[in-house]
Amino acid sequence: MATELAKVTINGKLFEVPKGARLIDVCREKGFDIPSFCYYADLALQASCRMCLVRIEKMPKLQTSCTITVTDGMVVTTQSEEIEKAQRGMTEFLLANHPLDCPVCDRGGECELQEMTFDWGGLEERFTEQKNYYAERYLSPMVANDPQRCILCKRCTRVCDEWMGEEAIEAGGRGSHTVIGTYLGWLDCSQCGNCIEVCPTGTLLDATYRHQTRPWELAQNISTCNYCSDGCQMSIGSRAGEVRRVVARDRYVNGINGEFLCVKGRFGHPFINHEDRIRTPMIRYKKGGKLIPATWDEAIRHVATRLDEIAEQHGRDAIGVVGSPRLTNESLYVLRRFATELVGTNNYTTTDLHSLQSFFEHLGAPLATHRDIRYAKTIVLIGGDPSELQPLTGKQIRQAVRNGGAQLVLVNSVPIRLREQTALFVHVNPGTEEAVLLALADPANDSLAADKAGVDAQQLAAARQMIKATDGDVVVMFDAALSADAQVVAAQLATVFGGEGRRLLLHPLPLFNNSVGAHDMGLMDRHLSPYQMLDMAGDTIRAMYVAGSFLPEHLEQGSDGLAKLDFLVVQELFENATTAAADVVLPAASYAEVDGTFTNNSGLVQRVRQAIPPLHQSKADWMIVDQLAQELGLDFGYQLSPSAVFRDIAKNVAAYSGMTYPALKDESKPVQARYAAGAAGADSTAALRSRVEALAGNGEKITVTPDVGEELFRLGMLTEKVPQFRLLASGNPRPETTAVSPLYQITVTREQANGHG
Amino acid sequence: MRIEAIGCEPLQLRRVHLENSRSIDVYRRNGGYEALKKVLDGMSPDDVINEVKKSALRGRGGAGFPTGMKWSFVPKDSPKPKYVVCNADESEPGTFKDRYLMERDPHMLLEGMLIAAYALNAKTNYIYTRGEYRYLIDIMDVALEEARAAGLLGNNILGSNFSCEIYTHTGAGAYICGEETALLSSLEGLRGHPRMKPPFPAVSGLYACPTVVNNVETLTAVPDIIKMGGEAYQKLGTEKSGGTKLWSVSGHVNQPGVYELPMGYDDMEKFIMEDCGGILGGKQLKAVIPGGSSVYIMRADQIIGKDVRMDYEGLVAAGSSVGSGGFIVMDETVDVFESTKNLTEFYKHESCGWCTPCREGTDWLVKVFKRIDNGGGRPEDAQLMLDLCDNIEGKSFCPLGDAAAWPIQSAIKRFPEDFKKRLATDNTDGHGPDRSP
Amino acid sequence: MSSQLVKIGPLSQPVSLGVEPATFSADVEAEIDRHLAKYPVMRSAILPLMFIVQRERGYLDPPGVLYLANRMQLRVTDIWEVATFYSMLHTKPIGKYHIQVCKTLSCKIMGATKVTEHCSQKLGIGVGETTPDGRFTLSEVECLGSCGTAPMMQINFDYHENLTPEKIDQVLDALP
Ligand SMILES: Cc1cc2nc3c(=O)[nH]c(=O)nc-3n(C[C@H](O)[C@H](O)[C@H](O)COP(=O)(O)O)c2cc1C
Ligand code: SF4
Ligand code: FES
Repeated sequence: MATELAKVTINGKLFEVPKGARLIDVCREKGFDIPSFCYYADLALQASCRMCLVRIEKMPKLQTSCTITVTDGMVVTTQSEEIEKAQRGMTEFLLANHPLDCPVCDRGGECELQEMTFDWGGLEERFTEQKNYYAERYLSPMVANDPQRCILCKRCTRVCDEWMGEEAIEAGGRGSHTVIGTYLGWLDCSQCGNCIEVCPTGTLLDATYRHQTRPWELAQNISTCNYCSDGCQMSIGSRAGEVRRVVARDRYVNGINGEFLCVKGRFGHPFINHEDRIRTPMIRYKKGGKLIPATWDEAIRHVATRLDEIAEQHGRDAIGVVGSPRLTNESLYVLRRFATELVGTNNYTTTDLHSLQSFFEHLGAPLATHRDIRYAKTIVLIGGDPSELQPLTGKQIRQAVRNGGAQLVLVNSVPIRLREQTALFVHVNPGTEEAVLLALADPANDSLAADKAGVDAQQLAAARQMIKATDGDVVVMFDAALSADAQVVAAQLATVFGGEGRRLLLHPLPLFNNSVGAHDMGLMDRHLSPYQMLDMAGDTIRAMYVAGSFLPEHLEQGSDGLAKLDFLVVQELFENATTAAADVVLPAASYAEVDGTFTNNSGLVQRVRQAIPPLHQSKADWMIVDQLAQELGLDFGYQLSPSAVFRDIAKNVAAYSGMTYPALKDESKPVQARYAAGAAGADSTAALRSRVEALAGNGEKITVTPDVGEELFRLGMLTEKVPQFRLLASGNPRPETTAVSPLYQITVTREQANGHG
Repeated sequence: MRIEAIGCEPLQLRRVHLENSRSIDVYRRNGGYEALKKVLDGMSPDDVINEVKKSALRGRGGAGFPTGMKWSFVPKDSPKPKYVVCNADESEPGTFKDRYLMERDPHMLLEGMLIAAYALNAKTNYIYTRGEYRYLIDIMDVALEEARAAGLLGNNILGSNFSCEIYTHTGAGAYICGEETALLSSLEGLRGHPRMKPPFPAVSGLYACPTVVNNVETLTAVPDIIKMGGEAYQKLGTEKSGGTKLWSVSGHVNQPGVYELPMGYDDMEKFIMEDCGGILGGKQLKAVIPGGSSVYIMRADQIIGKDVRMDYEGLVAAGSSVGSGGFIVMDETVDVFESTKNLTEFYKHESCGWCTPCREGTDWLVKVFKRIDNGGGRPEDAQLMLDLCDNIEGKSFCPLGDAAAWPIQSAIKRFPEDFKKRLATDNTDGHGPDRSP
Repeated sequence: MSSQLVKIGPLSQPVSLGVEPATFSADVEAEIDRHLAKYPVMRSAILPLMFIVQRERGYLDPPGVLYLANRMQLRVTDIWEVATFYSMLHTKPIGKYHIQVCKTLSCKIMGATKVTEHCSQKLGIGVGETTPDGRFTLSEVECLGSCGTAPMMQINFDYHENLTPEKIDQVLDALP
């Protein structure tokens, strides 16, 4: 629909802008700078800092441009004696009780208060009284707090509430005694640190970065997070070959996540430079023996000869190739070429927990981007817990509901935290989410579904009604754990719900940063699960080449196949259960040390950029495979250039055709993979129906909402290297004292952290 | 303490001296609930609003906004529930009239609220009383029970098809909660921060529903307006502001108290010197703050022999305003620097902290006052304080900021001598401003 | 319109207090229900409920705060942010008798300072302090609306006006 235009005059110039646009945005867009602190796009209006004052004709006194929406014929002045005096006055007020300790403030150089004062403040300092004093303190292992520096813009409390739905940090006290803080002074939240990010001053600080470097000494590299499938854009701050911090500050990076990051993205980086990183290639010359450091040439030659022998003896299918969904598309693609073209095996897969192969094979609607989610009108969430597993998605849902008036239909056996935002909560028996999906696809199944899921059939009808009545976007999200049959049905929902003025968009919720890429690169097209691989191991499969490792879940459930293998090669960052069984271990480079791409859960192909050189002797996974291929006599011709690999991908992976690194350069204009529309199965619901009929469909309803951090704080191979995460995993115990001196910071030794475990 | 009507028949104060004046029987025996009856027997909501418009009743809470007009802003067609909220937060220094109205004549307030609720079709209504007035809340609760027992509250009031509930609500110590939007935040269980206007409460107030917030005295005026008719009521006062007004008189007078005067009572000097019994101990009048602390302070010579008319226009002409009618009289012994310091400390304490200029400005001003008080005054301080006030006035989020600035601005301008004598010495001894606390 | 078939537990609290929520007698619970019944939104009852918890427990202690949060389906930080905004709510222990002397203009010029000094001397504590036996806390407060009967003080919820040293002594000595 065409937006109505309004004529506004700003400082004598006439502009036509959309009616109802926010004046402060309009002015800035038209090049008239306006200072502000409390105004933050897409957060509730505050209008408390009073920096953004402008003069509007026919209105009494100065007006805050952050609260004014433009109307036709509005005449605005943004620069005048009167306005400049007001702005000087406000900065002067804000500085009055603000300690001028900028030299020892981690925000120095990145501080909006510094900038505002420089641009709009007065020159003389008239405040000669004693400043109000508050002691510096820690609010959590991640968050340090210097209340004295606070200007009470309340961005922090608003993101904590509106983005995270946690309300962990609030304003207490009154008047000039107002302090941002938390009841009893310890922050026991999900530790996302977004309060730190949006703070315009040095009031809330990254406790893990305190007094490490001055911000301007850091090299800033824009990259993609290597944890969950949301693919947040971040700026990796490194110095002297060491990653010091990760931020999403809009002065450095402007991606799908704005300034949002979760605890893992923001604080999960210290594994990169961790002392335990595997430093050199290592060979175990005889089973049960020790891993002995070797040169790259020795190691590669050793692997090549052994693989040759085994292929000779047992045939090509006796060699299994496995790639981790954490690797870049480039690495996974080269690995697959290695498997199919060089080894020529049919036994390859990825060590993900779930596969989206069936979903993509039947995909019948576009994937929803996170922006789509924010502006969706109806959101259906089947299973999963985004606030813990895909936090950006969780935040977008919350904002869609709270700021965008969307309605959330929650289908889950667990009353996850998002239930606080639900318009309709279909609270099903454990493990029966699929039954509801079946009913959504076809009303004929209502009674069956209602019976199995233990819900009221009217709820199912109500859910369908809400979707059908939607004018705008409907986003259906589902946990990647859903069965293949269920995924097929979900993929086809558009045929049921698409309609006039209504777009149905799909949003799968896989677990890893490149789960989707692993599918795109074809590593799942054999429908082989890691479990099946492990079962074949030592039996039909004699040797395995693993880039990354199997997950504990796999090794617990699967037979101890690894031990039975004749030969196991593992590329890894750290020694773990998989390398323990390996005959050759090759040091791989982390995402911060390589160039490449990840594909997120909306199919956005985003760049990974090298922030620091590979540590020790490690190499990018694909380069290792490439080197091995050459040893075995096949040259892919990439000549150590990741962009060459990506050009190859763009040529051979239909969904990526036409993409190049330059085209992916701007993280603010992400490029979405173009997936082919898959064909509907004859009766796509039939298979699912029989599954649902087979469901036990009874059992206790789960009524406890999982604690914040239930999943986020669960230690993985990477986060367990981060002391702060060990503290969180052990219940974030409150230390005896939270006081700090400016030059001292919490350091948690592994022992201490374990002590709490 | 005197409670008296002067220059007019007691209207609001008609019953205050009767024995047991707060009981429903006494109230009914003395004309109580007749107005409600008249309304329910055949006045339409619009009729009521029109009478109130004709009465030229202006809000008694301080802003003086025409009440009838405020009521007419409530969208009739809105499907949302509507609310009438009585503002009994009375915290403006020098103001205590609402307290005696509720203490002595609670049913007059209930009748006024019922009529307002009828006019605005409000089914649920609240009386927001400041927490310190706990004993008044108890009185109102008793009155509510009496009214309910008498069929004046609840379903089908007096057999009509009008049903309505009134509840008491307690504040917990915050002057800002007298500001109507802050009051609504507080009533919703939030911190008492003011809200943006627009939207105005009449459109989106309590729980985002159309809401009218009225002061106690405003609502207690309604029954008489209905009984005597809008015009008659208006004629008691002036053309622009009708009826009578309560003045809370405190400070250095022989007869402090609550006085009911017709709007436009002719002479403030006479009021002080005769009606209030003159200055305590025969001392000289020095200053008057006529409308609660949030208005300009007046010099004696702005009053003596000036025939200051006591209504909105009259007081503005004389260089102040009616505000909440909190009339603070100060004799020659008072040091206006100290009285202004005292009020500034009040505003600092009560600033809600939401917006920069009020939060930081009042804090800074108090620090300057304290420094001067400790002998650290500097010649430039008067100018500094005026400039800080200027940076607060008109820039703050809600009017409290302005209210904090006005007393200082007027005091420095009108009583320069009380400031000058403290700023005389330049104690910067050539080493730049003294930075010690 | 969230239609849930089973009752879901209380909100996840962002701060673990390590205490159990307070419990109250049936009468108090009934009183609390009466207040909750006044409003379409539970949170509106937060101030009345806080006064009740304060009355029952002396001040808003952690168990009381947790009780309030659970009772109104709020988070403890919601309770904290409100409790610390209003001057009549206490998150720290306070004397059995809270003596609040009005210090604002009208009372000031009518001798409020003398009242404070007299109490202070009599009780041997300064403003903002509590007697060792926990009986009295002395505070100076802003205008309490008895400017016409100045000077005055409020003890807990009772007004004492037109104060003279003698009257103050009577009042304090008469306290049980
Ligand atoms: C800082 C501030 C404090 C106020 N305090 C009170 C008050 O204590 N009682 C009151 O009735 N109105 C008070 N008001 C005025 C209210 O905002 C509002 O105008 C009034 O209650 C409307 O009722 P009325 O039209 O009947 O006067 C205050 C306003 C401000 C800005
Ligand atoms: S002026 Fe600002 S800080 Fe002061 S009370 Fe109003 S909103 Fe609060
Ligand atoms: S940005 Fe407008 S008031 Fe703060």
